[in-house]
Amino acid sequence: MNAVDATEHYETSARDPAPALLTVVLDTNPHAWALLEDSLPLSKAIANILVFLNAHLACNYANEVAVVASHSQKAAWLYPHENPATKISHDADGDVSMNGSSTNNNTTEGPGQVNKYRPFRIVEEQVTHNLRELMASTSGPDVKANNSTMMAGALTLALSHINRRSIAWAEAHGADTAAETSGGGPPSGGHASGTDTTEGLQSRILIVSVSGASDSAHQYIPIMNSIFACQRLHIPIDVCKLSGDAVFLQQASDATKGIYMSLTEPRGLLQYLMMAFLPDQRSRRHLVLPTRVDVDFRAACFCHRRVVDIGFVCSICLSIFCEPLDNGTCLTCGTNLEIGDYGAKPAVVARKRKKKKRVNGPSGTATPTPTPTPGP
Amino acid sequence: MGDSDEEYIGEVSEDEDDNNVFRGSRSEGSASRAKRRKQRGGAEWEVSRTWETLVEGADGTISSTVEGLLEAGKRKRLLKDTTPLQRGIIRHLILIIDLSQSMTEKDLRPTRYLLTLRYAQELVREFFEQNPISQLGVLGLRDGLAIRISDLSGNPTEHISAIQTLRDQDPKGLPSLQNGIEMARGALFHTPSHGTREIFIIFGSLLSSDPGDIHQTIANLINDKVRVGIVGLAAQVAICRELCAKTNGGDDTRYGVALNEQHFRELLMDVTTPPATYSQKQSASSLLMMGFPSRTVETSPSLCACHSKSSCGGYLCSRCNSKVCGLPAECPSCGLTLILSTHLARSYHHLFPLVNWVEVPWQRASRSSVCFACGIAFPPVPPKDQWQTTENQAKGMSVSSRYECTVCENHFCIDCDLFAHEVVHNCPGCQSKPTFPKKADLLGCQAGLGLEIMDTSA
Amino acid sequence: MAMAVAPSRPFDYLESLPGTTFYKLYQQPSTALAIFRRMLPDLAKCFVMALLYLKDPLPATDLEAWVKAESLKERDNALSILGRLHILSNTVITDNVRAYKVTDPFASSLRQALTGAEKTQSFGVLWHISDGAAVSIAELDEYARRQWEGVLGYMVGTSGLGIQRDANLSKGVKQLLQAGHLVEIRDRRVEITQDGFAFVLQDVSTQVWHILMLYVESADAIGMSSVEVLSFVFLLSSLELGKAYDKKHLTSNQLRTLTDLADFGIVYQDSPDASHFYPTRLATTLTSDSSALSNPISGSLSGPSGTGSNKAGSGFIIVETNYRLYAYTSSPLQISLIALFTTLKYRFPNLITGKITRQSVRRAIEMGITADQIISYLATHAHPQMRKHNVSRSTSNQAGIPPSVLPPTVTDQIRLWQLERDRVKATPGFLFKDFVSLAEYEAPCRYAEEIGVLVWKSDRKRMFFVTRHEQVAAFLRSRK
Repeated sequence: MNAVDATEHYETSARDPAPALLTVVLDTNPHAWALLEDSLPLSKAIANILVFLNAHLACNYANEVAVVASHSQKAAWLYPHENPATKISHDADGDVSMNGSSTNNNTTEGPGQVNKYRPFRIVEEQVTHNLRELMASTSGPDVKANNSTMMAGALTLALSHINRRSIAWAEAHGADTAAETSGGGPPSGGHASGTDTTEGLQSRILIVSVSGASDSAHQYIPIMNSIFACQRLHIPIDVCKLSGDAVFLQQASDATKGIYMSLTEPRGLLQYLMMAFLPDQRSRRHLVLPTRVDVDFRAACFCHRRVVDIGFVCSICLSIFCEPLDNGTCLTCGTNLEIGDYGAKPAVVARKRKKKKRVNGPSGTATPTPTPTPGP
Repeated sequence: MGDSDEEYIGEVSEDEDDNNVFRGSRSEGSASRAKRRKQRGGAEWEVSRTWETLVEGADGTISSTVEGLLEAGKRKRLLKDTTPLQRGIIRHLILIIDLSQSMTEKDLRPTRYLLTLRYAQELVREFFEQNPISQLGVLGLRDGLAIRISDLSGNPTEHISAIQTLRDQDPKGLPSLQNGIEMARGALFHTPSHGTREIFIIFGSLLSSDPGDIHQTIANLINDKVRVGIVGLAAQVAICRELCAKTNGGDDTRYGVALNEQHFRELLMDVTTPPATYSQKQSASSLLMMGFPSRTVETSPSLCACHSKSSCGGYLCSRCNSKVCGLPAECPSCGLTLILSTHLARSYHHLFPLVNWVEVPWQRASRSSVCFACGIAFPPVPPKDQWQTTENQAKGMSVSSRYECTVCENHFCIDCDLFAHEVVHNCPGCQSKPTFPKKADLLGCQAGLGLEIMDTSA
Repeated sequence: MAMAVAPSRPFDYLESLPGTTFYKLYQQPSTALAIFRRMLPDLAKCFVMALLYLKDPLPATDLEAWVKAESLKERDNALSILGRLHILSNTVITDNVRAYKVTDPFASSLRQALTGAEKTQSFGVLWHISDGAAVSIAELDEYARRQWEGVLGYMVGTSGLGIQRDANLSKGVKQLLQAGHLVEIRDRRVEITQDGFAFVLQDVSTQVWHILMLYVESADAIGMSSVEVLSFVFLLSSLELGKAYDKKHLTSNQLRTLTDLADFGIVYQDSPDASHFYPTRLATTLTSDSSALSNPISGSLSGPSGTGSNKAGSGFIIVETNYRLYAYTSSPLQISLIALFTTLKYRFPNLITGKITRQSVRRAIEMGITADQIISYLATHAHPQMRKHNVSRSTSNQAGIPPSVLPPTVTDQIRLWQLERDRVKATPGFLFKDFVSLAEYEAPCRYAEEIGVLVWKSDRKRMFFVTRHEQVAAFLRSRK
């Protein structure tokens, strides 16, 4: 009767692989893009990214995308984001310098030719339209004010969207939604072991970044919070770095088991995207991924912003200092701290004190005096 | 259950008071429990008359009421105190699990014992996620003795596999609180004073068979500044309450009795939040020296200093350059604590929690039509005359399903609220607005308040 | 399960086509997109996308180095599928290095699909229609449901157990079903065959593909080019639900196909001469996986008619561990399908209850249905409540086995009941007996054993049984 043994027949029928949700966080910092203008202008980069999004949608009928722009002073949705006021007023060219397209296609409704697969077209139109609006609404003084980018906001918006889509997908497919929200963990129930779950939406985040790290130093805590949330939800963060250098992005992809690539040739953006960033989590198990082993995890001290190897940590507020403070007061929380000796003296075994015997002779080995014989 | 009627096994305790208190506590316990519950304003243990809370909506179905109840349930989980308190971030926790006869009861599925073990493993995982630089040890109480299941260490897999081996053994005998606490006290003896010392007991019995005077043990605990929290599975036991109250400075909210599996899990997961320090003299703050190693990859394998296992990569101690395989760890040669900056960053959200969001009444609801974070549509604002009726229906949740962040004044839905407060700890709206450039350093700008110390004398 | 996405039938059909057909097929971007989406395993899709925009072929060693050593099997599987579908070709570049390249009509078509700049109307031409005259999605779903259930009901109703349906299907449909061996004409009565049973118990997406493949295969017989029909089918799969499409760019063969497909409910047109047509949900979800299809379509096909698409999945069958079955449906087709293998007890306006008994399962098996088909039917249409219960049960299961939606007792028992029929196994063959002496018996017996045809022997009775007798007989003759 082994053929009928139930323990091996557990195979739910028609369990097709779950779809994937790709969220792209696009860094639209005007300063940084201006510097890249010679090798890769923004319009060309957007065109490449749109082809990449279409490729992702092509892989599976139920795949989804979302695009968030991380601008200099705000984070805004590019897709899905229907602006009801401006839905109809399209001009002829809804897209941006695609390779060799003719401009008479891509109108919305109305008679005309539809030469593009409709879901692709919708994504492209919304992204370009919203991006154009975003750029138009940025004024000169805003750009002058700060040259950083709102990476934390964009990541948080992306995570909220992923959360929303995961809940919606789970509800539609009859999974247990109550278990998700209570623990905030992946919807696989009890043991979140290393095995991948094929149930549940597989989401990942791709950050296309051009800015450096020093600009976003004051966003350190919110970015770390987002990274930990991704780690908990098993969402890999892939980073495609076109220029600039950001240590926390390296830490992000390392902590979440994502891919980090710093492009040496920005013009080849599309090929990099297709080859390295397109495979989804299931396929990544079979492929050799580009890894980066020299991630710098060292911390920067709060007083001088120097990178430290050994630091002194306040046990109350966990701020890091490079040297013991003079008056023992923590700079951030103001509590009085005790300062230990930190191994200033080496640890040695205590010397055994020799017992000095009181004997008549001057030296150590005294001849034992015989006990006096009792007198008569 | 014959347990509660058994005499103490072992030496007859001299304290008649204990006996009387104990015997009396069973009847007193239920009365005091009722009082306590009523004081907390909940009718949780009372019969809930669900047929009265369910009201038909305008379209004749109860779907809107059901959704409202779901939302209220989600919201209830969120409302925690979020004043930035001083908390013990570096924690040393001993988890004591009751492995006695009373754990074979089947009132929690499948048995109390198996459910406890499963939740204990989840607790270990969650604990190390929320407190990466802390240490945990596990003890068990079986057959009148305290047994060591795993030692105090910072490695979660060790504890999880140790708890896993417990699954094969059966619970037996009677528990002894005193023995367990004494063993835990010994384990915590050598921990440094800048970290917290905590004991957490999962107790399923109604008695404790001790060889000596447990009050003496409690006095020792107070001297050593150890804090005890207990979750009971059966009923409230007076000695447990006394234990918690005395070691926490008069506050016995650390003692909870589980009503059902969900409540049990919530009580357990509360342990992962660092406890607030509650009196000035208890907070020993010092400046700790820690190393921040970077990862190395070697071409040929070498032995690591902690397990003597050969591997190709690892972390080199910043002071003495010996190789350790995982972080956080204490360097086996020079004793320096080695951590990554990300481990410290994990605990920041305890110190600077995200403020709770407030419900939005209909008057202010027309400012938004979709949730700012996820784009889901909100129910439209009804005409003014219906505002009062809907407000009566909605209990515990926002009448307009909108929740507002007081800082950035954006509206969010309940799922984003839950998500932002429990998982991300960031407000999407505040992060999407420019912050004013501050001269203050990193930590200061997140919450410009100083850290307060909770006052329990009130 | 993660590897084989393609239903085998269209894949086998495509494989059997010659290379030149592929050349013609891949001229259309919609075809390239549909085949890419539906027929390839995940790893193959990664390969294609990575190579699509490369100017030069990629050396084979590079491709092989890209895949981990443990996943050799998946890699070879992917490469062989790509080769058989003529998507990837082997070339040799300088220095005799083997390299891979995406074949040309496929590559350019896929590129066009992604960037959207080509002249052919391969994705359909929208027909502008005034709002009042447009057909709504609900009406399209209703039409598709009615037609599809009509076809299935025709098949099931003829087995004599279900409710008789009016046979108002067109002749073409009946011919197609017969040509595909799904029904048989016997004594001027139409009966369903075993293949037909397997067909009705599958999920909708597989059924639609099956019908389409039958149609394509029979296209040559009707005088149409199968390539054209196939590319038209792929074009249909890329259309959007709820929009009307213009017919003026279609060839006459395609128009004919359109009319035939309308009978099945795959497309809708007001009349065969109308200037536009609407694809229904059955068409637009051709390239999706069946789980995406199960959400709205089976809900409307099998759920209580009249309700809109329900949010929470679409199953409607609850199976208890005491073998009782509750199905929340009122569609006669589903009821007759369930009646095939259960004993129905009560019928309410929106619910039928029954019990899976030994007699009912044996009856089904005698008709030709296998236990696996029954189990997969039940699992596909399981109520979301069972799925939720399943997930919460799985948290207490530590062994890491993915649990099935149905209670294991029921699935095992159905299989056991099927096995009961196999207690007696018949082997045709030849019996050699009446040997005079033991020695005479032994020699051919040993010879038969050596050549492997011996099934049974009895030394006491001096008989043995073989499956093939020619060699043993030749041996005996040669000895005499």
